[in-house]
Amino acid sequence: MAVETKTPAGTTASDDREMLISGSEACAEALTLADLDVVTAYPIRPYDTVMQAIAKKIANGQLEAEYIVAEGEHSQFEIVKHASTVGARVFCGSSGVGWMYAMECLTVTPPLRVPMVCMVGNRALDDPGAFGVEHNDALTVRDLGWLLIWVDTAQEMLDTTLLAYRIAEDRRVFLPIAISADGAFLTHSQAIVQVPSRAKVDKFLPPYNRGDLLLHPDNPITVAPQANEDWVIEIRRQNNEAMNRAYTVIEEAYADFRKTFGRGPENPWFEEYMTEDAEVILMGMGTISLPFKVGIRNMRAKGMKVGLIRPRWFRPFPTEKMVTALQGAKAIGVIDRDYSFGSPFGSGVVANEIRAAMYNADKRPPLLSFICGLGGREVTLEDVYKATDLCFEAAKTGKSPLKTQWLGVRE
Amino acid sequence: MAHFTCEVVYRGIFQKNLAARICRGIVLSARKAGRWGIAFGRYGDSPQRNGIPAKDFAIVADTQEELEQNMARYEPKEVDVTICVDDTLSKGVESWAWYGLQPINRLTTPNGTLLMTSLQSPTELLKDIHKKEAPYNLALIPAKASFSGLWVYKEDHTEARILGALAKIQPGFLSLDAVCAAIQEAEWGSELKAASARKAFERLESRPVKITEGNAETPFSFEKPKWWEMREGVSIPAIPIGKPMEGGKGYVPERNPYFKKFTTRTMRPVIDFDKCVKCTLCWIQCPDSCFDVTPDGLYDANMESCCGCGVCEAVCPAKDCVTMVREDAFEDNASQYEMWRRDKPAYVKWMGDKIASKEHVVRSHGFRFRGQYAEEIKQELEQGGIEITAGIPGENAAGKLR
Amino acid sequence: MAEAFANATQILEPFRGVKKVTIEEYFTSGHRTCQGCESALVMKLMVKAAGPRTIVLGATGCMYVANTTYYTTPWVVPWMHTQLGSSGSAALGTAAGLKALMKKGKMKSEPINVIAFCGDGGGADMGLGAISATLTHKEYNSLILMYDNESYANTDIQLSGSTPYGANTTFSPPGTLKRIIHTRWKKNMAGMLAAGHPECRYVATVDASYAVEMMNKVRKALSIGGPTFIHSLDPCPKGWDYDPMLSHELGELAVECGVFPLYEVEDGVVRHYGKTKAIVEGRPRKPVREYLLKQGRFAHFTEEDLEYFQSKVDEMWDKWEIPGVIPFRRAAAGK
Repeated sequence: MAVETKTPAGTTASDDREMLISGSEACAEALTLADLDVVTAYPIRPYDTVMQAIAKKIANGQLEAEYIVAEGEHSQFEIVKHASTVGARVFCGSSGVGWMYAMECLTVTPPLRVPMVCMVGNRALDDPGAFGVEHNDALTVRDLGWLLIWVDTAQEMLDTTLLAYRIAEDRRVFLPIAISADGAFLTHSQAIVQVPSRAKVDKFLPPYNRGDLLLHPDNPITVAPQANEDWVIEIRRQNNEAMNRAYTVIEEAYADFRKTFGRGPENPWFEEYMTEDAEVILMGMGTISLPFKVGIRNMRAKGMKVGLIRPRWFRPFPTEKMVTALQGAKAIGVIDRDYSFGSPFGSGVVANEIRAAMYNADKRPPLLSFICGLGGREVTLEDVYKATDLCFEAAKTGKSPLKTQWLGVRE
Repeated sequence: MAHFTCEVVYRGIFQKNLAARICRGIVLSARKAGRWGIAFGRYGDSPQRNGIPAKDFAIVADTQEELEQNMARYEPKEVDVTICVDDTLSKGVESWAWYGLQPINRLTTPNGTLLMTSLQSPTELLKDIHKKEAPYNLALIPAKASFSGLWVYKEDHTEARILGALAKIQPGFLSLDAVCAAIQEAEWGSELKAASARKAFERLESRPVKITEGNAETPFSFEKPKWWEMREGVSIPAIPIGKPMEGGKGYVPERNPYFKKFTTRTMRPVIDFDKCVKCTLCWIQCPDSCFDVTPDGLYDANMESCCGCGVCEAVCPAKDCVTMVREDAFEDNASQYEMWRRDKPAYVKWMGDKIASKEHVVRSHGFRFRGQYAEEIKQELEQGGIEITAGIPGENAAGKLR
Repeated sequence: MAEAFANATQILEPFRGVKKVTIEEYFTSGHRTCQGCESALVMKLMVKAAGPRTIVLGATGCMYVANTTYYTTPWVVPWMHTQLGSSGSAALGTAAGLKALMKKGKMKSEPINVIAFCGDGGGADMGLGAISATLTHKEYNSLILMYDNESYANTDIQLSGSTPYGANTTFSPPGTLKRIIHTRWKKNMAGMLAAGHPECRYVATVDASYAVEMMNKVRKALSIGGPTFIHSLDPCPKGWDYDPMLSHELGELAVECGVFPLYEVEDGVVRHYGKTKAIVEGRPRKPVREYLLKQGRFAHFTEEDLEYFQSKVDEMWDKWEIPGVIPFRRAAAGK
């Protein structure tokens, strides 16, 4: 339930409103400001809290949009895909196996260049049916042309939702974006969020213009005819180009966001926390950053030179910037809230992406891989300390233990 | 080390099973001499469409290593023998958009062989078959194109006769005995079919084709756009709406320029405009929107987009107004309506010649009723022509004597 | 501010006779369908009936793969592919997108026809759930047309929930031990959807052998408002195995033998039409063997099979509460 709080004294210069809302509600606020046209819902925890919030806004007249409750995630995603091709600004989302049920539709949106914005309330995949967070759901589309970003606060969820439309609907990109929010920690907990004015948002976010791809009697085109081997690789090549253009578009969008709203990160790609002189750099996506920041502060107090990198954008992956940021470290510890059974070193997805990115780097510090917090299990300070200690050992020896460590498992 | 590559060019669906039998037969015959082989259909043709030209291939080699050089391909770069099982394909084939019109002998290697089933003479066929930069041989098996469908097969021995002929063309790879043995072992085989193969072997007519011979027209072709020239979002422009034929009257639909479809046709409608009652049925029932509406309310089948299904003849209520005529009776795709209005008596004579000839209007185009193929084979036996063992369709006189 | 929005449809009066049919083609040459493809004809007539202010969505199937290969489009009106099970979602999403933009003044307000088509595989099997959902969204105007060639004809003729009893398909080949592999009776799509969606204002069965009637059903479906459904029976020379010239004749025989009844359900009122009406009024049906024996897919049928098929069709006419429409019958009095 969204409670509006008083704007604190002294901030009158800002026409932002301050609200106590969950990450999902923050997303819904952004969608309202973005004047969403079509949204489709289907129940699955934890993402469905955003649809509940949207339903209220529509019921209360705060948002005018076609709100369709579909009969399954497959239809849920197909409906907005088609709404987008006739020029509507659309929103969709899901979690866990719901996202998997929509998989066929998730594969077609990038080649069709549909700038769909989605929220993934990250959730463990069945079986067993668990509500807690794991990142494997969103990661399943990492090769398909989706832009993927992880956020760690309700404020970042709101800001990123506005950024997502600006980036996805840029004609140079026209690709779908999935914003990942950790189940429970973000989707179900409320925090103080600065909500900007509609006027500011209108300045930042131009209307969606489908242009020459608009499906309309005034622009007669045939979209997605069946193609044989004479055409497919060219079409994939175009998709690859659109993904490459996203690097520039993302940096432009964040720069403009800071100009318009007076907040937002200098570096869109990842958050660096106490990394300047860090010997050990820990890495993890989403809310895993929060216990790690606490642990890092405690360890810094003891004089341990440790820092954190929290990747935001996983696709497109900021290879050069990431490699540069890691050059100073004596050891790197990557904590995955996902699994990739049978992968190199049995590591999680993020760890192996970092390994791949580092392969041609001048300096390749030892990289340790950890799997932690699966099924939504809390990440404890003990987990943080254990990971850090192992990293410092590796920093001394200069060698990576190849085995991937599972943290917080009963053994 | 040696290998032998063969393609079968055929009518989709109508001859799918026939082509498969031929290619399997080639590999299994070669196997008799310990050779290795593969048989496959051109993947892009599958799923096939009735009448749209398709290809199957058979490749045999002395060793598996040599065979590997020809595997994981959709289509060989060249073939020793091109087998064409419907002579209306001699006008060339267009299987896909942007594919252009490909001469029937395009893949035939220099001094290779084009083997066709046909009742036409080499001279007649070479009016249609495009010129080739290199000499090759044209070998003929006297037979009508064998058409059936997916489920019911016309057992007219065509596959056996082609295999027998191949033994004559490539004795080094397929001995006649090996071919006959393979035929008898096949699930469709029989002694009589083996006899058909031997007869085809004995009586195969072949003649060299010089580079000066053949149809001189340059087949239409296209250049595919580069990735950055293509529209994004897997989108392509729609077809513009058509326009009146002339003086604001009639109507000519715009047509897709990249796929013309006429090489799918084995018979074309010949229209007696004087008999037309302007009922519109041919026009409205045509699945290929191929009829232009003339200013005087007649309907002119556009011969670049007509695929020869025959529905227009089937629905026409006026007696003898629309007659389907075999494609080999025609030289070009000219408009019949234009011919008619330019010179009516000349058109009536032209039309009369076309529909008069019996063998040009007889239709065997797939299943119509149970026992139909058996009846057709019996007729072919009776039509006879050349002296040969009894019981073999297509080229049998002895059958008539019984 | 948004200009006044009316959720209106185009009012398409029926063509009064074949001479009054639109001369323009909105679906033209260029497709790679079979000789005598009845489904291609259905596409042509469907958009001829709908006219130029129309968007067509096509689910995977023959009318996608054969009909609209890359750069081989026959479409004059805007056309877009949708996934095999998504004809319902495509219609709904396109209609919702247009409605939202027009309501909010982001797009010129005008009635645009939205038609999504699917084959029997995409409609009667995979897409049934999405079609059903769309038929409950009465505020979005669209037509879903199922072109039923009675198999997955595009993928090499595999049986679908709409394949007739006993037919030869690559998934149900008659063998030496088992003559009949496909023992299921064809789904009754139009009847089921009409019965199950009380707010769907229009459901009809059509047959392109009766072109003008067929087009007029499409025009009514597009004019009446809300989501509508049309089931078209399309003879398939490839999968049914017959001379392509017979497509039109087989379309007529399907109706005359009573295998495929022609009817419309408009606001809950059932009307048989065309030759089906005559049958309901007592004209004798032709025996189904006249229809079955012209098709290679039934070449393995014995007398027994033909009789069984006939008896099931007879049931449809003699026992069903509404002949050929709904397989209900009242309990005998006192039972």
